[in-house]
Amino acid sequence: MNQTTHRQGVRRAGMLVALATVGVVTTSSYRPAVISAATTTTTNRVGVMCTKDSNAAATHTSTFDLTTTVGYISLPDGNTTWTWGYSEIGKPFQHPGPVLCVNEGDAVTVHLTNTHNTVKVPTSIMFPGQEDVKANGAPVQPVLALDGSVTSMVDTAADDGSVTYTFTASKPGTYLYESGTDPETQVRMGLFGALIVYPAAGSTQAYNSATSAFTLGEEFLVLLSEVDPYQHDAAESCWNAPMLSPCTATTAGLASRFDINDYHPRYWLINGRGFPDSVADNKASWLPSQPYGALARVHPFNTNPAAGLNYHPLPALTRYLNVGTEDYPFHPHGNNGSIIGRDGAELRSTDDKDLSFEKFSINLGPGQTWDVLSKWYDAEGYSPTNPVNVQIPSVANQVFGMFYSGSPYLGSQGTLPPGTQTLNQCGEFYIIAHNHALYQITSWGVNMTGPITYMRVDPPFPNNCPL
Amino acid sequence: MSEENAPTRLDRRRFFKYAGGAAIGAGLLSRWAGPTLRPFAAGPVSAAGPGPDMFLGGTDGWIAMPIGSAAIGTNPILYPDDLAPPGFDTYIFGFRNVTELTDAQRIGQKNHAQHSAPLFWVNEYTGSNEFRVDITNLGLAQRPDLFDAHTLHWHGFRNVIPFFDGEPTGSVSVPAGSRFSYIYRPRDPGTYMYHCHVEDVEHVHMGMNGLVFVRPQQNGQTFTFDGRDFTKFAYNDGDGSTGYDREYAMHLSEIWEDSHWADSHIQLPEWSDYRPDFSLLNGRAYPDTIAPNAPLTGDTTKPYMPVVVDLDGDLTTNAGYEHLKYQPLSSLIRCKEGESVLLRFSNLGFKEPAMTMAGITMRVVGRDATPMRGIGALGARDLSGADTSYETNTISVGAGESFDVIFKAPAYVGPDAYDTYMLYNRDYTRDGNTSDYGGQTTEVHVYPGPTPANILADQTIPNT
Repeated sequence: MNQTTHRQGVRRAGMLVALATVGVVTTSSYRPAVISAATTTTTNRVGVMCTKDSNAAATHTSTFDLTTTVGYISLPDGNTTWTWGYSEIGKPFQHPGPVLCVNEGDAVTVHLTNTHNTVKVPTSIMFPGQEDVKANGAPVQPVLALDGSVTSMVDTAADDGSVTYTFTASKPGTYLYESGTDPETQVRMGLFGALIVYPAAGSTQAYNSATSAFTLGEEFLVLLSEVDPYQHDAAESCWNAPMLSPCTATTAGLASRFDINDYHPRYWLINGRGFPDSVADNKASWLPSQPYGALARVHPFNTNPAAGLNYHPLPALTRYLNVGTEDYPFHPHGNNGSIIGRDGAELRSTDDKDLSFEKFSINLGPGQTWDVLSKWYDAEGYSPTNPVNVQIPSVANQVFGMFYSGSPYLGSQGTLPPGTQTLNQCGEFYIIAHNHALYQITSWGVNMTGPITYMRVDPPFPNNCPL
Repeated sequence: MSEENAPTRLDRRRFFKYAGGAAIGAGLLSRWAGPTLRPFAAGPVSAAGPGPDMFLGGTDGWIAMPIGSAAIGTNPILYPDDLAPPGFDTYIFGFRNVTELTDAQRIGQKNHAQHSAPLFWVNEYTGSNEFRVDITNLGLAQRPDLFDAHTLHWHGFRNVIPFFDGEPTGSVSVPAGSRFSYIYRPRDPGTYMYHCHVEDVEHVHMGMNGLVFVRPQQNGQTFTFDGRDFTKFAYNDGDGSTGYDREYAMHLSEIWEDSHWADSHIQLPEWSDYRPDFSLLNGRAYPDTIAPNAPLTGDTTKPYMPVVVDLDGDLTTNAGYEHLKYQPLSSLIRCKEGESVLLRFSNLGFKEPAMTMAGITMRVVGRDATPMRGIGALGARDLSGADTSYETNTISVGAGESFDVIFKAPAYVGPDAYDTYMLYNRDYTRDGNTSDYGGQTTEVHVYPGPTPANILADQTIPNT
């Protein structure tokens, strides 16, 4: 507690310094004296893992200290690729950047330190969807080269420098944050993350309308991205080159090593992972730099208040983001989501009519975010006492999937043929969600990987499912 | 030059693939008919029980792209396929409708798959009309080395249990020689699609994909909208605003010859190189899209296209269209002036076609089997909300997305027997009407109002 109090005091001092720099523009070599943010990160195994300012609720300010990092991520075909990332200062490389969670109305400060010898080039953070963003106290401005061309869409931090961005989180919703500097290199290299603005109505609603309420603990992230391994390889070669190499001096140097006209993704990722890593827990120990899982774990929708523990009247919320270069047609099976907002704007008419709509293809464009409510229940209520009206073939005439329980019924487990292995724990259902541009659910030759995840539906209580 | 249109490069990896594939082509395997299927071990249907409403067989086969195709940009090693039987040029996996076939006929359909998969339709579930689809896996004649299972995934079906969803990891799939039943109670009218979900990158692209739609229970009632009486509707609109006189399924898919050649030659494609050579409407490329349907029995009681089969249970063709034997579904749109025409688009290609109607405005009335209505006060099924339908002349159909659009046929002008309007993919590298290799283009023929029934009768079967 002492430390928290101390940090809070320092943070205020940091803000004063930031205010004092009003009028300082473009690339800054201003460096922070100390870490100014006090944050916590939730520890849930599945669902959105929020990094938030510990004092945001009391102070209505959210401050984050981010820095540039570099490291390796694991890909489903066994390759690793060198990647850039935003991390909280003092913490190791992670991909994608921390999920920043703030509240509507918060004064948000993101302090970016371009740590020496990481990306080695000027870099920045853009906050698409936020208004009146300031850098070091002045409205963000593009950075121009001597010939007048834009090198960065917002003010940058030089190598070994820093920059402070501030804005008021005025609109609830789901947003990207990403590098605005040489983005065809830097965003592709991994400088991006998700920003969530919770409405004043509370953190179990997507927006301020009561119809946007969702179940606590059933809030999921689907952040879709892509990797051209040659681009990453070129950047790594450049980074390892002698200090006099052009790529240590300017972003143009990087581009000279990789012709962006040759850009051709070979991997597509969900929350920075490919399947089957995508269904591993948040912070799985074997994925040290890819902390965010994509498994959704839900309980059946049930509006009967007499159902006790199984009363489950609210849907789940999935926040979709596309940081790639083309439309991704994401398809959650069996579960037509209700699209309630896009790009941080709730789908309501000016006369407050509900314009949300159901859809089975979540085809989000580059840079878009979609907020989708979904609920799952067995429309037919099948069970051993209300069986499916078919004769189930003998086990020799079926091929069993590794998530299958051996029974068609939620909460039941059936006999599997000798030697069949299942990952099913307690008769739960696994329902897939995946990119339907199917050539993108491959990893440079390995099929059925990439942006695939599952929704796990737990059986009603009492059940035998492990927590 | 963009990557999209770059000529196919013969890199080292491809060189070895072609060399290996050619060796196989010259060898024995292509002549091996494969083992005969064993009879069903424990068939789920007893002789006493009712049969399935729809019975699909999954297998492989051969189709043809337009006759005389020069396949601009297509690698001549890959297309036409050197293993193809006479008259055909592209290897596929696919489904066939085997509902009315005898056991012997059904087993004989191995290597006779069609593209796209058989069009079928279902009435909205109103309490007793379950719809059962059986599938059987007839095996792959050209690839006896593969033991791929198949499933049926009804894409977009709400709240289905994994057992009937056809996603093989979370449930079960159907090995060669076996049979499986799927039960559906479709409660939401609209346009859907279906496909095999086993190895779905490969099986979907190879042709195991088609369109299915659900008719609303409002059908049969009469609603007057815009001065016309309708008895057929896309949705339970309550006001006739989705009423139509004729309906056409427009299923979009693609063929990347690299993967089709690889499958026939026991090779693997590199899917991240995906660049389709042909873009298809109902399994055909223009100008084949406007060729007639395969011969139909005219039976309007079936929930699927009633194609004529021969004594062996195989598909038949119209004279002059023998190359379309396994691509039975036409995309030609025929209507009379003033009629309302419903187009049901679905896309199981991997790209995003921009389907454009020249000279006629379309109204989008549904998307992903959901009517274009805001949510009313009573929740999701309350359609009293805001009307969000819209007019356009282009719809971009994402992979796995569906659209229901209605257009009103303009006045007949003449002097020909009918006026022609074009419906095409505005991505001009995929429409094909300006090149030699065909694409996602078809025609709308608008006839005069008094056209006699022997030229254009009232529609009783979709796509006719």
